[in-house]
Amino acid sequence: MTRFIESTITFPYKRSLGPVVGAFMTALTEKQILGIRCQDAVLVPPMEWDPATGAELPHEFVEVGPAGTVESWTWVGTPSIQHPLDHSFAFAFIRLDGATTPLLHAVDAGTPQAMSEGMRVAPRWRGSREGRIDDIICFVRGEAAETEGEDTGGATDPVTRMDYLASITYRNPVPEAADRATEASREHRLLGLRCPTCGRVYAGGRGLCPVDAIELGPECEVDLPHTGTITNFAIVTPVQYPGQTETEPFVRAFVLLDGTDVIIPYSVVIELPADQVKVGLRVDAVWASPAEETEEGGGMGGSWGSLLGWIPNGEPDIDDPDLVNRIF
Amino acid sequence: MSTPPVAVVGVGQTHHKSRRLDVSFGGLVREAVFRALDDAQMSLDDIDAVVLGKAPDLFEGVMKPELYLSDALGAVGKPMFRVHTAGSVGGTTAIVAASHVQAGKHRTVLAVAFEKQSEGNAQFALGSGKGASLGAGGAFAPFIRAYIQRSGAPEHIGWKVAVKDRLNALKNPYAHLKIEDISIEKVKASPMMWEPTRFLESCPSSDGACAVVITDEAGAKAAAADGRPPAWILASSSRSEPSSFPGRDPVRPAAALQCAADVYTGAGITDPRRQIDTAELYVPFSWLEPIWLEAFGLAEVGEGWKLVDDGTTELGGSLPVNASGGVLSSNPIGASGLLRFAEAANQVRGAAGEHQVDGAKVAIGMAYGANNQYFSTWAVGSSLQPFG
Ligand SMILES: [Zn+2]
Repeated sequence: MTRFIESTITFPYKRSLGPVVGAFMTALTEKQILGIRCQDAVLVPPMEWDPATGAELPHEFVEVGPAGTVESWTWVGTPSIQHPLDHSFAFAFIRLDGATTPLLHAVDAGTPQAMSEGMRVAPRWRGSREGRIDDIICFVRGEAAETEGEDTGGATDPVTRMDYLASITYRNPVPEAADRATEASREHRLLGLRCPTCGRVYAGGRGLCPVDAIELGPECEVDLPHTGTITNFAIVTPVQYPGQTETEPFVRAFVLLDGTDVIIPYSVVIELPADQVKVGLRVDAVWASPAEETEEGGGMGGSWGSLLGWIPNGEPDIDDPDLVNRIF
Repeated sequence: MSTPPVAVVGVGQTHHKSRRLDVSFGGLVREAVFRALDDAQMSLDDIDAVVLGKAPDLFEGVMKPELYLSDALGAVGKPMFRVHTAGSVGGTTAIVAASHVQAGKHRTVLAVAFEKQSEGNAQFALGSGKGASLGAGGAFAPFIRAYIQRSGAPEHIGWKVAVKDRLNALKNPYAHLKIEDISIEKVKASPMMWEPTRFLESCPSSDGACAVVITDEAGAKAAAADGRPPAWILASSSRSEPSSFPGRDPVRPAAALQCAADVYTGAGITDPRRQIDTAELYVPFSWLEPIWLEAFGLAEVGEGWKLVDDGTTELGGSLPVNASGGVLSSNPIGASGLLRFAEAANQVRGAAGEHQVDGAKVAIGMAYGANNQYFSTWAVGSSLQPFG
């Protein structure tokens, strides 16, 4: 039975709109919908270039609508959080009066039976507009545009940029080897997998040998020591970004396990300030107590499970000039 | 295996900046594309296929921008391809474009690469959207530490590369960073970011694009006859290796050595240090210059830093490296690799302007990506038989 982990990535991107889409968005704040002249056609929304030839279009804007005709539509019965409306609605191609091409937008029609090709619709504007396509909440049946809430007027400055909050939730299958490594970590065991072909040992539930391109099953499992030596490290000055968890310089160390060829990469260090980390430092594994257990595991993350990181054990440093080369 | 001769006949790039808030993605790439077309004296109608490269979609949060950009690039009704090889992508994009021409499938292919870093955040994207991102600087710092220890290089080598590339950038009108008063003292005094890498030893975050027009032998000869020298592609190669396994050496990655050997064999280069006149190497952090000089056979093992120290890699030296200012001066990530390839081409075309290396006949452009895992390189020449 494959287990899945659900993850969400969210980021507030910024879009530079350029001169044409920027003009379109600025007009939306004024409750105007602009098209652009492209030879005999009026393209809505406006494009910067002729979609057929790639030729630059002169910035000849044409106001269209506000009402238009539904050319085609599809019903969204169960909207997701990312849809424009929180109840069922239609996505429709609406050819606004004066436009040659249809605009894709939502129509709030109540039921699919209320939708039809040739249906006349007009925009329902948001009272407070910021120069985004959802300044038009949706289109509604009829010829007259309406505004929801208090109208706060158009933008004082031209709109040149747009916030775009992107979010994606995805499910990753957890390989059996990763689950077995995590389970072993609960018993404070550090599990490795020895490749039967090349003899290399992989830790962290990596159930394959990338050198020989073979899977490593439970029959390859070996217990690894809990003591090792820091071979190399990174001291990272955190750059701030949405979702950053760090504010102070932090260390990620590479730990060579005693008597093995195994590197535990990008390891968290404990009670070891950034200015004291060095090549050759002896360290012991630190395991979470049951009280410190979290669903996400310890400080190392992923299938390292209860392994929180590594702490200096007080033994004398190892002086070996080749240690620093052991990053992988 | 010999392939039909093909060449670069047009090169274009944007003025790289921190933020190009005045243009959309399409507007940005078109600046580079039309400069390349003008350079080739061509129009979009002359292009048979378009190959686009950029960093992973998480950088700007646009899925499959190659599809969204097809009309901006005049690719409607034509083949359009996207290349994904992390930081090396710009180089691989050029190689894929050249391969289409070499294969005889298309006569003239446009290679385009871009990044608009101002729309997202590179550290976020490199950290797969999680906190505590190492970023590229954090990922490469251990490799640099290993290089310094095994070569015994003095610490000022990193500072010298940082100064050299910024001085070169002052001669390149398209370069992003223009630090008029750059000096060893200034680099040394800049904040430590990822020990031993300081702020001024690191690449900037740029918005920018690059485009290259590659055409067949007849097209290249016609350009030459018209007084517009082409850059003949003598050989190209891409190689990759797994991200990690016990014993992997990121300072001399097997993929880099294989990529170099493949290009040199294909181009008939037997003594890279003597036969290559200038190199555009992907150096986002200063110490990568000596590391790649060695991995790409331009210096003996352990001696790359000496070519920095004695001025060999300066613009007036016998092997100028990154005469354009390199990635240290402009880093629109997806485009950075293609910029290396394009600048190498311009050098052998004699079209590099103020940062031209006198008499350059053979140049290499090199890009790498991910955890020192993906490598792309081409060798270009002012003629098909540059070694006589
Ligand atoms: Zn193996």
